[in-house]
Amino acid sequence: MNYAIELEDITKRFPGVLANDHVNLSVKKGAVHALVGENGAGKSTLMNIIYGLYLPDSGSIRINGKKVVFHSPRDAIANGLGMVHQHFMLVPSYTVAENLVLGREPRKNGLFDRAKAEETTRKLSEQYHLEVDPKSVVHNLSVGTQQRVEILKALHFGADTIILDEPTAVLTPQEIDDLFNTIRVLVKDRKTVIFITHKLYEVKSISNQVTVLRKGKVIDTLPTKEVTENDLARMMVGEKMEPIPAKSTIQVGEKILEIKNLVVGDSMGSRAVRNVLLEVREGEIVTLAGVEGNGQTELVEAITGLHPIDSGKVYLRGKDITGKTPDEIRRQGLAHVPGDRISVGSNRSSSVAENLIARRHRQEPFSKKGWTNLQIVNKFAEDLVDRFNIKTSSINALASTLSGGNLQKVVVAREFTFQAPLLVVSQPTRGLDIASTRYIRDVLIEMRDNGHAIILVSTDLDEVFSVSDRILVMYQGEVVGEFTPEKTTREELGLYMIGARRQSKVESIA
Amino acid sequence: MNWFNTNLRDILVGRMNRFGQIISAIILAIIIGALIIYINGDDPLVAYQALIISSLGSSAAIASTLSKSTPLILTGLCATIAFRSGVINIGGEGQLYMGAIAGAIVGVYITGLPAIIHLPLALIVGALAGFIWAAPFEWFKVKYGTDELVTTTLANYIAILFTTYLVTNPLLKPGAPLGMTRNILPSAYLPKLVSHGQLNVGFLIAVSLCVILWFVFFRTTLGYELRMVGSNPRFSRYIGISVGFRQILAMGLSGALAGLGGAIVVLGIQHRFIQNLSPGWGFDGILIALLAGLNPLGVLPMGLLFGILKSGGLGMEAATNVPSELSEVLQSIIIFFVAAEIGVTMFFRWRNNQKVQVEESLKMGTLDEGVFVPSDQSSFSDGEE
Repeated sequence: MNYAIELEDITKRFPGVLANDHVNLSVKKGAVHALVGENGAGKSTLMNIIYGLYLPDSGSIRINGKKVVFHSPRDAIANGLGMVHQHFMLVPSYTVAENLVLGREPRKNGLFDRAKAEETTRKLSEQYHLEVDPKSVVHNLSVGTQQRVEILKALHFGADTIILDEPTAVLTPQEIDDLFNTIRVLVKDRKTVIFITHKLYEVKSISNQVTVLRKGKVIDTLPTKEVTENDLARMMVGEKMEPIPAKSTIQVGEKILEIKNLVVGDSMGSRAVRNVLLEVREGEIVTLAGVEGNGQTELVEAITGLHPIDSGKVYLRGKDITGKTPDEIRRQGLAHVPGDRISVGSNRSSSVAENLIARRHRQEPFSKKGWTNLQIVNKFAEDLVDRFNIKTSSINALASTLSGGNLQKVVVAREFTFQAPLLVVSQPTRGLDIASTRYIRDVLIEMRDNGHAIILVSTDLDEVFSVSDRILVMYQGEVVGEFTPEKTTREELGLYMIGARRQSKVESIA
Repeated sequence: MNWFNTNLRDILVGRMNRFGQIISAIILAIIIGALIIYINGDDPLVAYQALIISSLGSSAAIASTLSKSTPLILTGLCATIAFRSGVINIGGEGQLYMGAIAGAIVGVYITGLPAIIHLPLALIVGALAGFIWAAPFEWFKVKYGTDELVTTTLANYIAILFTTYLVTNPLLKPGAPLGMTRNILPSAYLPKLVSHGQLNVGFLIAVSLCVILWFVFFRTTLGYELRMVGSNPRFSRYIGISVGFRQILAMGLSGALAGLGGAIVVLGIQHRFIQNLSPGWGFDGILIALLAGLNPLGVLPMGLLFGILKSGGLGMEAATNVPSELSEVLQSIIIFFVAAEIGVTMFFRWRNNQKVQVEESLKMGTLDEGVFVPSDQSSFSDGEE
């Protein structure tokens, strides 16, 4: 059998963590090999080892049967490896052709040969049926097209094996279909694709082989057609997952949040949110679905007082909160789980306890007359750590030592225990593992059942369908469609998300 | 750095590492200093002996060292409180001058008060003058975005020249050979702690402020907010802390500490304001704060170390041909090594942090600039949490 990549007994240890534990992995030439596992399972470490970013502590790598040692990505590229990172490494202000040749620019008389670069791009694009316009500037392109440019770039650098790191995380359903077609073209051309994901239906639809990693170890490598999604989930998590309980239907109550004709500018001076009108009532989860960057962030920040409002009104429990400070708005009954848990939702250079106590630090009994009561603070923090099952070495550990899922639990624990009538929750499970994702979605539904009004921003359609009571699709700052999860499909939402369709008049009234 | 809630073991480990760093830097500095003395044609052992004897060799020498440390501890605290709160105050020197002149004015011109009122009044006015000469620059920053690093640096020159004008013109002591005020009234004198020499109650004030500020930072809600604002303003804003207001307050308090330092020099040592009164205490304070790891308790030993070098330098000059400037060279070498070592560790930690942050952000698709905060505990991670 012909293998593109063989990893033998790879071990990589970081202080306190065994990231890869005697990993053996063989990737067949011309196959689509899916690599699945929860966050922290060691997928990224393993790929970084293959790509020359880390040296393994022990073990060896063979490429096409030949033993190699990579000291940098340059070595890996020279051996026919290419990697498409989740966040693209393109220069936004350069054209497609310029990006494609960057690092290996064709020259004429010592100067950059633009015509040659564009010619190269066109040829590659035709050869692999990956449609791109060499002259368009990257920042004008859709995410899917940018990804195509990344793949072309890897091919231009001579890649025979392409590693795609969670390539679908940022794509719409239509773009995912396009990507899968691209992968099929690549495989037809005898290229090998390693596909990292934790979305199991993608594994089923595109890969030939699948390897499951858990806690740094390979659990199994199997032909994809011999496993079901449930088998994979069980292997990833190490236990059987309970199916999501059917949502109880609950009577919606009082109107909590009301937004009238809201207009918000973005940092570039154009309108990020245009004339949005919506209401959220007690006991419902209203989800703002859409491709990232269509005004969701600005809308949430406008509601929470973090972003100035150009015009329109926001009412929280009947009170006008337009233009109020975050503190005033929170006092009126709002809690907020921001999309950026790392630099907004938490203070990574503070302890877990300090993160959990934030905003309560001035309240009795946590402090009295300006003096902090450490015993009570610590007890409170211990309680939350227990209740929300936050895995940390101690409540005094720095927040920066927590994994993404546990950091998010810290944010959720703090915000959800304010018992605020309105919860504004943005991308709560992005980048989290299955167990944490599941936990946070369960808590969301529990909060809804307890009568909280919840406004959720999500780009993850799994999430949109599993928790929403109503779905509003945002496109270019407007709400272009309103749906209930029972009466729509992924494909239909996808068309609205990319602006291919819109409802003539959207009245988002409960 | 996070002592609000850190357990004792972590504190000790962190402290020991830092202690080791500083001791090794001092040893290296001593060796290099010895080489310089040797090249200069003197015996390093004799020179160092003179340095130690004249700074720690007798109770009088110790008293002099403690006295010289006093303004340094206060300016060290001035920089500490500012930097911890994310405020760049380079204006400690000018704030010290303003505090000194204000203290002198109260000491000279307010008459008829008993010491129990006069002295505290002079100290408070000195601190207040420092506050007033600092806080507006942060207000400009919050309101108009003017860089406080630039404005406070420039404010030093204004303060120094303004006080020089005052003491060479309207406040000039008649017949004085250089710009100085008249002597302050004895009711505003800081009581001495020793019969001979300059050591006075000001030193005790400085020491207790180290302790008090530690408590303020790590055991009060104000300190909590200042640290949050200093380490992550975006988080602070999100959580509902008024970032700008806290920073203006931090700048003011920082200036007040320098101003108090100036007043203590006038009321405790010189008993008048003499033009160009400070040899650069405000700037030394910045270095002391950084060497102390922005911890108020760490300012005390670092302030004392600088005091030893300053008072020992003069003795060294008297006993040998080594100019007292050499002790400044020693100071610089120590700072250089400690800074280099801290710099290197921080750089790696920072890079590590950044990497984690970048990888996390990549995962979440939200790259942002990220606030750099040095942390005392290393936060290794496998980078794919």
